[in-house]
Amino acid sequence: MSVLLIALMAVPALAAAILWALPAGTGDRVAAIVGSVVSGLVLVGSAVLWWDLVRPRAGSAVLVGYGLGDEAPRTLPGRIYAHAETDVSWISALDVRFHLGIDTISMPLIALTALLVFLCCLYSLRITPRAGRTRSLIALLLIIEVGVIGTFSALDLVLFFLFFEVVLIPMWLVIDIWGDEHDRVGRRRAATTFVLMTVLGSAVMLLGFLLVHRQAGTFDLEVLGANPVAGGHGIALIAAILIAVGLAVKMPLWPLHIWLPDAHAKAPTVGSVLLAGVLLKLGSYGMIRILLPVLPDATATIAPYLAGFSTVAIIAGSLACLAQTDLKRLIAYSSVGHMGFIGLGIATMSPEGLAGALYANIAHGIITGLLFFLAGAIKDRHDTSDLRAIGRALYARLPRIGGLLTFACLASLGLPGLAGFWGEMLILLGAYHPGDSLPRTTFVVLMVIAGLGAVLTAAYFLQLIRRLCQGDPVEHPATAFAVDVSRIELITWTPLVVLTVLLGLWPFTLLDYWTFS
Amino acid sequence: MTITWTDWQATAVPLLLALGAVAVLLIDGFWTTGTKQLKHTVISLITGGVILFGLVFVMTQRDGFKPAFCRTAVEGPAECSLVLEPLTLGLWAVLLLGGLGVVGLSAYRLLSADIPVGEYHFLLLSALVGGTVLAGARDLATVVIALEVVSLPSFAMVALRRDRRGSEAALKAFLVSVLSTAVMLFGISYLYGVTGSIYLQTIATRMPGIDPDLRQVAFAAGLFVIVGFGFKIAAVPFHGWLPDTYSGAPVEVTAFLAVVSKSAGVAGLLVLVTFGIAPSGSDLRIVVAILAAVTMTVGNLAALRQVEAVRLLAWSSIGQVGFLLAPLAVGDAQAVVAYLAAYVVVTLGAFGAVAVVQRHRPGGLFLSDYRGMVRSEPGLGVALVFFLVVLAGLPPGLAGLFTKFAAFQSVIDAHYGWLALVMALNVMIGLAVYLRWIAELFRLPADDPFSVDIESPAVGVISICAGAAVVLSILPGTLFALSG
Repeated sequence: MSVLLIALMAVPALAAAILWALPAGTGDRVAAIVGSVVSGLVLVGSAVLWWDLVRPRAGSAVLVGYGLGDEAPRTLPGRIYAHAETDVSWISALDVRFHLGIDTISMPLIALTALLVFLCCLYSLRITPRAGRTRSLIALLLIIEVGVIGTFSALDLVLFFLFFEVVLIPMWLVIDIWGDEHDRVGRRRAATTFVLMTVLGSAVMLLGFLLVHRQAGTFDLEVLGANPVAGGHGIALIAAILIAVGLAVKMPLWPLHIWLPDAHAKAPTVGSVLLAGVLLKLGSYGMIRILLPVLPDATATIAPYLAGFSTVAIIAGSLACLAQTDLKRLIAYSSVGHMGFIGLGIATMSPEGLAGALYANIAHGIITGLLFFLAGAIKDRHDTSDLRAIGRALYARLPRIGGLLTFACLASLGLPGLAGFWGEMLILLGAYHPGDSLPRTTFVVLMVIAGLGAVLTAAYFLQLIRRLCQGDPVEHPATAFAVDVSRIELITWTPLVVLTVLLGLWPFTLLDYWTFS
Repeated sequence: MTITWTDWQATAVPLLLALGAVAVLLIDGFWTTGTKQLKHTVISLITGGVILFGLVFVMTQRDGFKPAFCRTAVEGPAECSLVLEPLTLGLWAVLLLGGLGVVGLSAYRLLSADIPVGEYHFLLLSALVGGTVLAGARDLATVVIALEVVSLPSFAMVALRRDRRGSEAALKAFLVSVLSTAVMLFGISYLYGVTGSIYLQTIATRMPGIDPDLRQVAFAAGLFVIVGFGFKIAAVPFHGWLPDTYSGAPVEVTAFLAVVSKSAGVAGLLVLVTFGIAPSGSDLRIVVAILAAVTMTVGNLAALRQVEAVRLLAWSSIGQVGFLLAPLAVGDAQAVVAYLAAYVVVTLGAFGAVAVVQRHRPGGLFLSDYRGMVRSEPGLGVALVFFLVVLAGLPPGLAGLFTKFAAFQSVIDAHYGWLALVMALNVMIGLAVYLRWIAELFRLPADDPFSVDIESPAVGVISICAGAAVVLSILPGTLFALSG
């Protein structure tokens, strides 16, 4: 199965190269079809890989289910029991290995990536940014897919860093070329801020990795997971801070989030979907995969601060949302709040909090992906994402889009029964029972504040629904040409809607994977 | 002192280069019949052949250790002036590859017609003689002489195009070079006075044991030597001459300055710092580290404001030297050689691309002249993007990424945390520098897109550079195997 994992990266990379080799005049449809087929294959491949990972085997107990009443063991993900492994020496002079593998933490994220890229390509069959050049856009989306799947399956710190950087230039190009067509200077600034802040973050993270290497003598995550770097002070602490800061830029955690609102608001629809849906997850995944298992003691030292900043992010993100007048910026800021929840969950260092963070990761990817698709649809129909210019009474003008937007907002604010609920609930539960080495009082206080943040989240989403969807249809007449949900939009959004409901109703299909023993 | 077989081996490459230099000068002087093209081609082939011999020699001698021109010392092991060891061979490989690339870029029709072809190749080979000797030099006298053999041809080459800008550029470089040599000789005389030897190895062994009163003198002497080299490699604050010289010289000569001349300077400093004046733990290493931090920051920040392609490359090459000085400051020769090799390959390619644009577009000095090249001239455009990405050190330019990585690793392992932070910051600034250019390349073409028939030698050199950069990106281990 390790061949399949490599194929998941090699196939889109090859497809991108082939797309670029095609003449520049290649039709947009042809490019989008190639992209859809290739990313569809990747999606099927990741499904097969997932099945292979979890299928029952004789003599192994991968799946251990815990009902609500059972006492789950309070252990954290540490050792990696990698599946579909590839491990060859690459640069012996630098002690770098080409070491890939997956486990139950990374597999759902890989599948999420494959799904969102597939939907983006499908969406591009009919709806593309006005800048044209769809051939290059699709090729860049595929390269981004390679980078993200690579990051999720890297089991070597240097390889992780490498794949982490792969997505930078393609995403920069996506924002810079296909971004907001009304604001050339703005989209260029947004793209450059994004790429520069992220590259600084990853360079800082690399310093942390090198310190880990100096202490432990290896970059291999499997070895490091088995023999973590002990000690919560000195070099280990510095390494943990550097890695946490680097990942926090990507995630992003307040106050390092300043690149995010512009990048999301100026990016084209597919760019925003991938940025919010998968790129932000690289940061939270890195914290779970690297920070906790490799530097457990040092992470415990910084966890209260991490939790504090995360809580500030929740509140600050929500307050910023209340003040937004731009639909895409609003959703972007809501991501800051949600990633704050995930950060808090990781910082609790408790099984509940971590499972919650992992769950919220997936849920946020699906729901925010859907939200950005909807925002893009509304923006395309009105040629602006300014809420004041769009006007009210969306229910009357575009009833289906209005309805879907309401659905996505409710899912995002954490309505029980939809995907957004379980992650945040578990995170708050985790903050109530933080890891044994953490100050419980602090976390309980933070839990209360985060709970208030959840209320604020509800407030701004309800305000959005009120300002955008409701209102007197007479005052805001429908534009003649605006069609409600088109067929391609329906096809692209249905999987996301279905998954939102499924994950809301049967959380244990995923949560069972993350009970670590 | 008798000259042994080992001595001949150690000097075989510089000697042959020198013979080649004389040969091309004579051929140019006595060749009166036939076309200009034939003459140029023959001279290029001889120069290239001589350099290729050097490269073959380097390959056959790998892993050897051959001290040459040795003298039995009064105490301790023999003192040698020239040592052929993996590090020397790695540096030779870099220098010779750089030289070969410059020869390729100066083929017929590429080199502007008003540059005398014989003198040009003579000067190029002479500089390579100096560079190869410098990389193997293990005593201060050889270092100084070799460095002068590199420098003198360099500004003669700058002045080969006899116009005002060329003369001014050459004069600037000349004055700075003379000054830096004077400063260095001053430092060397003190070093000799303090330690009583000009052999680096002996200096290194005697340095810890010298009279405490003389410590300050030794430190100052080392400082003078480093400052002298700082001028040569244009480390900030001794960089003032570089941008004007780079933009005043013909592009091929600028490529030579950025590749061969700079590599030679770095090689000399590397030899001095690691073998002689600044053993591990010396305060001089901190001086070099500070120099590295300042150089990369100033170079990159200034590059950020440039609108001309050559000036941007000039300033960013200052930034790259800063990055080179970082592993040099901690004595990690392997990382330095690897970084230098990756830098040489892609810098040659970038200058090759710039030369093509400047030849075919009169006044095409600016970044905006490169607009839409990925679309209008895909081969050249994509290659240039790749070179710039390697210089920035981001995927897919893994050759650049891993050599930067090695620099980080050696700095972190030597406990220079502050320098690593400055480097991290400079990765960001450097990326901003190159992204401005890359953005122009990726835009849609303007009204008169750049699309021309590129001369086949230029296509060849740029393709080879791009191919080498791709191979080095897939197998970065090759870079680190260069020096053992």
